[in-house]
Amino acid sequence: MSNEVFNDASKITSKHGSDEAIIVIEGVYKRFKEFEALKNINVKVGRQEVVVVIGPSGSGKSTLIRCINRLEVHDEGNISVDGTALTSDIKNIQEIRRETGMVFQGFNLFPHLTVLTNVAIGPRRVRGLPKTEAEALAMELLTRVKIPEQADKFPAQLSGGQQQRVAIARALAMTPKVMLFDEPTSALDPEMINEVLDAMKELAKEGMTMVVVTHEMGFAREVADRVIFMDAGEIVEVGTPSELFDNPKEARTQKFLSQIL
Amino acid sequence: MITWIRRNLFRSVTDGILTILSSALLFYVIWQALQFVFVTGRWEIIQVNLKILLVGRFPDELIYLLGFSLLALVFGISSLAAGGRGPGKQIKLARTIWEAFQRFGLLIATGALLIALGGDMASLLFGLYVILAVIAGRIFGSIRRKTALSKLPGIVWVLINVLPALSLIFISISQAALEEWGGFLINFYLAIVSIALCFPLGILLALGRRSALPLLRWLSTAYIELIRGAPLFVLLLLAGVALEFFIPASITPDPIFRSVTVFTLFTAAYLAEVIRGGLQSIPKGQAEAGKALGMSATKITVLITLPQALRNVIPAQIGQFISLFKDTTLAGVALSVFELLNVGTAITKQDDYLGQGLVYESLAFVGLLFWVGSYVMSRESQRIEKKLGVGIR
Repeated sequence: MSNEVFNDASKITSKHGSDEAIIVIEGVYKRFKEFEALKNINVKVGRQEVVVVIGPSGSGKSTLIRCINRLEVHDEGNISVDGTALTSDIKNIQEIRRETGMVFQGFNLFPHLTVLTNVAIGPRRVRGLPKTEAEALAMELLTRVKIPEQADKFPAQLSGGQQQRVAIARALAMTPKVMLFDEPTSALDPEMINEVLDAMKELAKEGMTMVVVTHEMGFAREVADRVIFMDAGEIVEVGTPSELFDNPKEARTQKFLSQIL
Repeated sequence: MITWIRRNLFRSVTDGILTILSSALLFYVIWQALQFVFVTGRWEIIQVNLKILLVGRFPDELIYLLGFSLLALVFGISSLAAGGRGPGKQIKLARTIWEAFQRFGLLIATGALLIALGGDMASLLFGLYVILAVIAGRIFGSIRRKTALSKLPGIVWVLINVLPALSLIFISISQAALEEWGGFLINFYLAIVSIALCFPLGILLALGRRSALPLLRWLSTAYIELIRGAPLFVLLLLAGVALEFFIPASITPDPIFRSVTVFTLFTAAYLAEVIRGGLQSIPKGQAEAGKALGMSATKITVLITLPQALRNVIPAQIGQFISLFKDTTLAGVALSVFELLNVGTAITKQDDYLGQGLVYESLAFVGLLFWVGSYVMSRESQRIEKKLGVGIR
């Protein structure tokens, strides 16, 4: 089988029935000096679709989703989110970032602010909501991720799992159209991984469009509409969870899966 | 007790010898110091000149204004020190008073010393007022925890406590002619005005040095390196003759103005480097999290990175402020400002005391006042740090 058939991630297979793409990535290259981190990436993500990106470390998964909200600047190709193309225009970039929530591996909560303020800061300072409204919204989201009682604490007083759920609430507070997850459970102790995955599953059930970089294959199998396998900066294979996990076509995919499963 | 002494002081022969030698030295120094303080020292020079040491030739009929300023300041600081949000404990008067004494023990002792030196009814009464102000401030501060006052943003609360005192200080100072005030009052004035001015300037320079705009970056860097390369004393001397070149002709700079300018510009450069270090210590993820929320670069700085940076470098910042406070004595030598050290030297040349070697007494007193001021600042900085440490990562 030739590579071209499988490395085209442009075909959308959403369970939720929408074929309209919200994220379009076309011919994207990214280089760090000599090193090519992304090579000719083509991906479309449909509305309400959950796409999980897997692959060995250094394969470019994180770089890919960091390009979607311009935390990394891609060198070639086009990326657009909900019809807005990512250019160097800062207005466009901020527009896209407002519509795109991101959850980081290391949480990146603001340590000098309380949990409530961490969640409320986006709506309040970026969307311009009045303080009371922003805090009401924040409280609602903290309830949704099941930690309303921690609102007045500081991030450092919370467990890793709780912190990551606050981070999810913080991203949701901007009412984003897309959520990006960059290895959200990799920095967590094993017993805390599930509480975060549960919050993410909940979100997927509600129809959030999600791009998730993760090593949690159980999560991918259960929640993903499509799984993308990346290696050495390329998309090697794309498929539904059952296609990719049970019947991988590419040798590299097979090797990777045999190593981790 | 015995085992403790064994273990810590006489563990080996060398330890034993060191312990004996150092305690002998310690006893000798303390003995000499006590001799000086209680036996040989001739403190009447301080007693007689107490007023001029503290406030210069400030008009007697206006001193009550300074008194009020001091009371307001003590009240505000005490209230801030008691403050703190969150569920409050019951306010107990006895406990409040005890805590106030613990916190301000050194200041109270210094106050008592000054009263003893002043030795009249008025200063005794004033001392009582000061203690009352400490306690009242403490109660006012504790009330905040229990009432709607806790909803106020921190900065408003600080202003409520500090502004009355500061405005009173400026009113009282402006009432007297410039030539009339002097002594410790000037050091205090130079320090707070310069601190208030150099802080924002230091922040701007630190941000400028990290700016993406090359011109701004170069200018900030050049400024910082230029100022840090020059001795403060030289800058003060220079300001004494050359400040005219840089300011509009309509302003005639007096020595105080010259000193404030130099202290502000000088400390801002050092502060900028301290703050820049703080900014560099903030992980990249913080700015990224801000970006991911769609924040502008300005908002990321103001809301996310700068507050954390400033908090991380509180000890170094206070260190700069303490240096500034002590360096105000240089204004006396370089620009003939009539500040504490200058007064302290001048009084030893009065007819009554000339040639009697009373410079020890005078310098000891000057040193004591600066030490108390610096020590209180340093200890308060440690407390602020601990208090803000709640959210530390």
